[in-house]
Order: sequence, then structure tokens, then C-alpha cells
Amino acid sequence: MRSLISHQKPKSPITEQYRTVRTNIQFSNVDHDIKSIMVTSSFQEEGKSTTAANIAVVFAQQKKKVLLVDADLRKPSVQYTFQLQNHLGLTNVLTRQMVFHSAVQATGIDSLDVLTSGPIPPNPAELLGSQAMKDFMEEIYEQYDIVIFDTPPVLPVADAHILANQCHGLVLVIKSGHVEKDSALKAKDILENAKGKLLGVILNQKQHSDDEQYYYYGTK
Amino acid sequence: MEETIDLRQLFGTLKKRFWLIALITIIAATISGVVSFFVLTPVYEARTQILVNQAKSEQQFYNSSELQTNVQLIQTYNDIIKSPAILGEVTKQLDLDMTPKQLSSQIQVTNSQDSQVAHIVVQDTNARLAVKIANTTASVFKKEVPKIMSIDNVSILAKAQLDEALSPVKPQPFLNIAIAVVVGLMAGVGLAFLLEYLDNTIKNEQDVERVLQLPVIGVISIIKEEELKNLSSASYVSAVRGESRGA
Repeated sequence: MRSLISHQKPKSPITEQYRTVRTNIQFSNVDHDIKSIMVTSSFQEEGKSTTAANIAVVFAQQKKKVLLVDADLRKPSVQYTFQLQNHLGLTNVLTRQMVFHSAVQATGIDSLDVLTSGPIPPNPAELLGSQAMKDFMEEIYEQYDIVIFDTPPVLPVADAHILANQCHGLVLVIKSGHVEKDSALKAKDILENAKGKLLGVILNQKQHSDDEQYYYYGTK
Repeated sequence: MEETIDLRQLFGTLKKRFWLIALITIIAATISGVVSFFVLTPVYEARTQILVNQAKSEQQFYNSSELQTNVQLIQTYNDIIKSPAILGEVTKQLDLDMTPKQLSSQIQVTNSQDSQVAHIVVQDTNARLAVKIANTTASVFKKEVPKIMSIDNVSILAKAQLDEALSPVKPQPFLNIAIAVVVGLMAGVGLAFLLEYLDNTIKNEQDVERVLQLPVIGVISIIKEEELKNLSSASYVSAVRGESRGA
């Protein structure tokens, strides 16, 4: 099971690190409210979904109304993190088979809702670039304070490019010691060419060196 | 600024690859130990001492230039001893199954600085044979040298003896292991730096800022399994407490 550490251990230092991410996102744009954040990475297995879920949780802890959308229509995984069913979801909404309200699921965490991917479609990139997607985003912005999109990786497939300019902010997750500099640069270029607003990088799974230890501050 | 070598960084690299370095060193030492103990045939050494002295008709006190001549003659003797004229005779006498040339590679003639005593050192995998060759070579040399140089000035000081406790001079397992350890360490450290150099991945905040020129909005440490495990036991405890409180 994926770790929802920020929910399970709100006082752990790692949760604190997610809160720093939250603060930095909130401060990264003063003039415009950032209502949607797309979480992506260069390749798969860099920790996108874990990061997206944990950021969603720390935003929800601020009593914001948060929606986590699994826009990874190729390899959806949000349902595992929150132990939900994935019979209905984003694809059903985009193909207008059902309205958003009946597809969204509550997570049991206060003010955090999840929209899973739904059945895997044959044409994910097309769906994400459709007018239905734009309508859907308009609709959810009215209902939620912040929407977080978990997306496929940038380099292998095109889905993330399509979503990039529709979201207010992009976050690139980089797994420490895992991504070559060239690949990361390429991912950055793609996202910037797609006119996405790249807020910054989350360096994931970083190993501590001994001289920079993190201690629990306060009680565990 | 980037060109400066940061000692701490070098140290960090070594520390990170400590196990790699240790492993290579241990493997090198083990291989060298196994090879020296089990694979290489031990080589034994036997030595005879011969004295080179000009027997002069009119006995005078030694002068240093004469001594010097004798010392220098040892070089000549070295060549003579290793020549087929002597070694051919030795192989014949001992019925050895090798050519004089092969034999000469086993024989060394040395003398200490400014000394008239020369050592014939023979190495062989068979200790008994080494002794035999050394003694035979000395005696053949003594016999033959008057014919070759028309002087009679060689006497055998000490014959080679087969010592019961004769231990092989080669291989020297501990020296070999020590060398392997040093070589292994060097190879390991070299490999560690090579890997570090070839590792072109993004590892820390500095890499992100320098290469991507993007701000780092967060650093997430590795979430350890145990951290999540603690948690289930903690919630279990609180559940039990809750119950007892109710009772």
C-alpha cells in the first residue's frame, strides 16, 4: 500500500516536509490564486502519486476543500492509496456518461475528495485535451479550493503536456539519484513548451547524509 | 568556484561506496591468498658460498686494488656460471631434464658489496633438487674455472644443505595478500570515484537549481517502512486504552 504518511503521522518530519511544499506552492504565486496543481515527473515510479496524495492531504489539513483527480488514465493508482473502488471516475465524466457529482468519492479524510480515473480508455491523450475536460475543470474550480492532478510521466507519453497549460501550476517530482540530468532537462523543456507554469521541483526520496539530520521537534 | 575540490565531498563519496571498496579489497585478498596457498607451486631456495681469491705465487699483503679486481671478477664468474659450459655439465651430472638455458633462469649469482664471497642461489620447486643443483654447480664451477680462466682461485665455503625446516621462498602468501589488499583498495577507490563521476543523476537541491534552474519547493525524505509500522501499533495501543477508559 502506498503511504499516506501525512494523514497517518501528522507529526512526522516527512509530513512537515510536505507542509513546506504546501507553503511554497501557496507563496509561489501571489497575484493569482493557484487552484489546480498538476503533479508529474520525468519517468514513472518517481513517486508522483504518493506526492500528489500527500500534498492533497496537507492542503486538506488546512481546511481547504481539496479534490485529488487521478488523471493518469494509463496506469491509475489513486484508488489504491485511498482504498477506493475504480469502477467510475474521470473517464466517465469526460465521456459525459455521468455527472461529476456521482463519480466523486469521499476519502474519509475531512474536506478531501477523490476522483479516480475510471475505466482505462483507448485514447487518454484525446480525452484529456477535449472540451469536456475544460468544462469539467471550470465546474470543479467552483466547488473546490484546490484541485490536484496526478498525471502520467512527461517523457514517455504526451498526456501531461496536454494537461500542462490547463493547470495553474505544475510540480515536477524528481526522485533523487534516479533521473539523469539530461532527462530532467528534457522534461522541464517539454513542460515549459506546453506553456505550463512550472512552480518548481520536489526532490523525492532523498537520502539523508549524516551531517544533516532531522530530529523530531516536539512529541512524536 | 566549482573547480575546488571539496574534501568533505570526497570523503562522502568514499563513505557512500565503502562497501564496494571493502568488497573489492576482500575479494582481491581472498583470490591472492587462495592462489598463493593452493595454486602456485612452492619454490625452494638453496645457496652455496664460494670464495673468489687470487692465489698468488708471491704472497703479499692484500691491497685494495687487488680486492677490487676480485670483486669485479665476480661479475665475470656470474656469466661463466650461467654459461652452457658449466650448466651443460651440471645437467649432465644430475641427469636433469632441461637445457642449460632453462637452468640458468633458476640460478643467480650474487655477492655482497665489496665482498669476495659469492652466493650461488638456486630456486626450484623441489627443495632437494635445488640443493643438488647448487652444490653441483659450485663444484663444477670450481673444477672448470681453471680451464676457462687459467687460474685456480675458487674455493667452496659452504655447501648448500637440505634443511628439514626449509620453507619455500616463493610464493610469499602474506606479501601477496598485502599487495592484493593495497591494489584492491586502490581499485575500489578508483571505481568509487569513477562511478561517482559517471553518475549523472540529480541527487540534491543544488543539482536541481544548477541544472534545471528551477526552484526546489520541497525535499521529501525516504519514507521508511518502520515509520509506518510504528504507527499501526500506536493506533492499536490507543484503541486499547480507549476501551479501558470506557470500562
